[in-house]
Amino acid sequence: MKPWRLAGSAAIVAAVIALYHLALGVNPTTVALTLLLAVLGISAFWGLAEALLASALGVLGFNYFFLPPMGTLTIQDPQNWIALGAFLVTAVTASQLAERARRREAEATARRLESERLYELGQVMMPEGSPASTIRKFVQKAPQVLGCAGAAFCYGPSNEIVRSGGETKVVSDAALMAAAESEDVKLDAAEGVALAPVRFGARSLGSLALVGSAAPQHTLRSIAHLAAISIEKARAMEEASHAEAARQSEALKAALLDSLAHDIKTPLTSIKAAVTSMLATAGPEQHELLSIIDEEADRLNRLAAEVIEMARIEAGKLHLEKQPLDSAELIAEALSAFAAPLRERPVAVELGEGLPQAYADRELVVQVVKQFVENALKYTPAGTPIRVSAQVKGGKIVIGVADRGPGIEENERLRIFDKFYRGRRHRFEVQGTGMGLAIAKGIVEAHGERIWVENEPGGGSAFYFSLPTGGVR
Amino acid sequence: MSAGKILVVDDDPQIRRVMKATLVGHHYEVMEARTGEEALAAVPREMPNLILLDMNMPGMDGLETCREIRAGSEVPVIILSVRNTERDKVAALDAGADDYVTKPFGIEELLARIRAALRRSPTAPEGGPHSFSAPGLEIDFDARTVRARGKDARLTPKEFELLRYLVAHAGKAVTHRELLQAVWGPDYGDEPEYLRVFINQVRKKIEANPARPKRIVTEPWVGYRFVE
Repeated sequence: MKPWRLAGSAAIVAAVIALYHLALGVNPTTVALTLLLAVLGISAFWGLAEALLASALGVLGFNYFFLPPMGTLTIQDPQNWIALGAFLVTAVTASQLAERARRREAEATARRLESERLYELGQVMMPEGSPASTIRKFVQKAPQVLGCAGAAFCYGPSNEIVRSGGETKVVSDAALMAAAESEDVKLDAAEGVALAPVRFGARSLGSLALVGSAAPQHTLRSIAHLAAISIEKARAMEEASHAEAARQSEALKAALLDSLAHDIKTPLTSIKAAVTSMLATAGPEQHELLSIIDEEADRLNRLAAEVIEMARIEAGKLHLEKQPLDSAELIAEALSAFAAPLRERPVAVELGEGLPQAYADRELVVQVVKQFVENALKYTPAGTPIRVSAQVKGGKIVIGVADRGPGIEENERLRIFDKFYRGRRHRFEVQGTGMGLAIAKGIVEAHGERIWVENEPGGGSAFYFSLPTGGVR
Repeated sequence: MSAGKILVVDDDPQIRRVMKATLVGHHYEVMEARTGEEALAAVPREMPNLILLDMNMPGMDGLETCREIRAGSEVPVIILSVRNTERDKVAALDAGADDYVTKPFGIEELLARIRAALRRSPTAPEGGPHSFSAPGLEIDFDARTVRARGKDARLTPKEFELLRYLVAHAGKAVTHRELLQAVWGPDYGDEPEYLRVFINQVRKKIEANPARPKRIVTEPWVGYRFVE
């Protein structure tokens, strides 16, 4: 409602009355209809308040100047009361209708403008790169697109604040951060500041501020929502591209390992083939030297295999082919690899009653059992017994290899599974890389299971690992 | 007299050199190919008695080369590879290879494999069964056909010999060593993992549930037994 419009309404009514008053002999009905037209026009273009004022003034003026007795506000003829009443009701009703239509149109226009702006903002904020760059873009473009003086954004996860310029100084950093916690949009009409929390679902992404914005609350909510979607999408895209990069780097690592395995083993193949060929026909003197070459080629080969396997485990590239497994078969297979050295020792195999099947990668699990058996053979005196067991404990299958050797000192019990760690006592006596148990640990942990060592009551140590049950019995 | 013509396919010149020197020393005639493509060109021309095929070669790899060779020839193929996982072995056997040797290898082992492969198609045991029939499994040993659960099962020669030996000794546990020597030859015996690859393949082809076999059962510690 603007004062000049009220004055204008009064002036229009006064002009109509003056015109007809001066032009004598005009039918009062013409005057009334002309006034009605004026009221309708006013309500259509300016508003209800102006139209109501015009109606009131019109009624008074019409009565005063055109209804007998003229020059007074009294009415002689009761019929004229009715006419005046009809005029007033018609003017007010028509004004209201016109006003409603006008307001609808204004609302529709505002909505359209708002949609256009939000669309434009959406276009501008097309997620790209990262949340940070999306936010910078929003802050840069929002004033121009939304027609405000400035914009500021606080990104929750990093608490980073981005401002479009000095105009936004009226909003303090603290106020901006606090807005992230608020429930809804806050409008400060005096300062012309709007603060809105930015959320994606229940998750807070920060807050935004618009300075000198005339946007109503629901528009601000839409803006905040749009910003949230754009930022979240940028974040998801960034994450996806990181994951892709990581995947590619893992694939590259695995490919490198494969080619490394090939490159080391190819010359070893020539050496081994050549030396074993010579061994077949060598005399005793050469035989000793050629045997050394042969054995060392084997050792290099084992070393390369272990390094590559360790790298594969650490790169998370261990490929598990899980299947139902019988513990008895696993143990038999592992023991068969050491048939000759085991013949010189008492070997006991203890299998629990009604052992269920395990669910694991057969080759890798056999490798773990073999490692345990190999360690028992290496680190315990010749002729001492070895006991291999499989039992169910706490819903898991636990496979163990126990020996009657010197046992493992308390402070070594954890480190023994570390890469390159070798027991103090045997460091210089027994050949090895110190990777066997680390690889065993990697294999067991890749299955999501546990590996450990205990000291046996009565001397010796026992290595165990667990496996998930999987088959039916 | 030559003990046989061997085609050595490997991209590494040193390996070809050492193979040539060694195999010639054992009276084999040796030809070389540097790539799978060269090998494919050489096979029909040279008609080798055996092919030693490297698995990992630039361009056409060993598996593909093996499949291509198999499309036109029954020549024995031994795949040589630096990889030693069961998955790689199964892939090689599936591609039609007769044997698989992991690099690096001792030459005696390779020579034994070569001798076994050249002895190709072990002679059918005399007096063995001519056929076997049970619900869900029919074997005709003379026609070399197997029908499992109403469908024709395609067994490779080694798989078929394995099944034949187990059926001939049905109900008895056959040891790993006995089975390996019967099917592959007298130089074999310490390759239980090798046997397992083939047993798994046979189980996949004849068992209703290969994970819980009912026909070819494992005898822990011993070997395998065929259940009638």
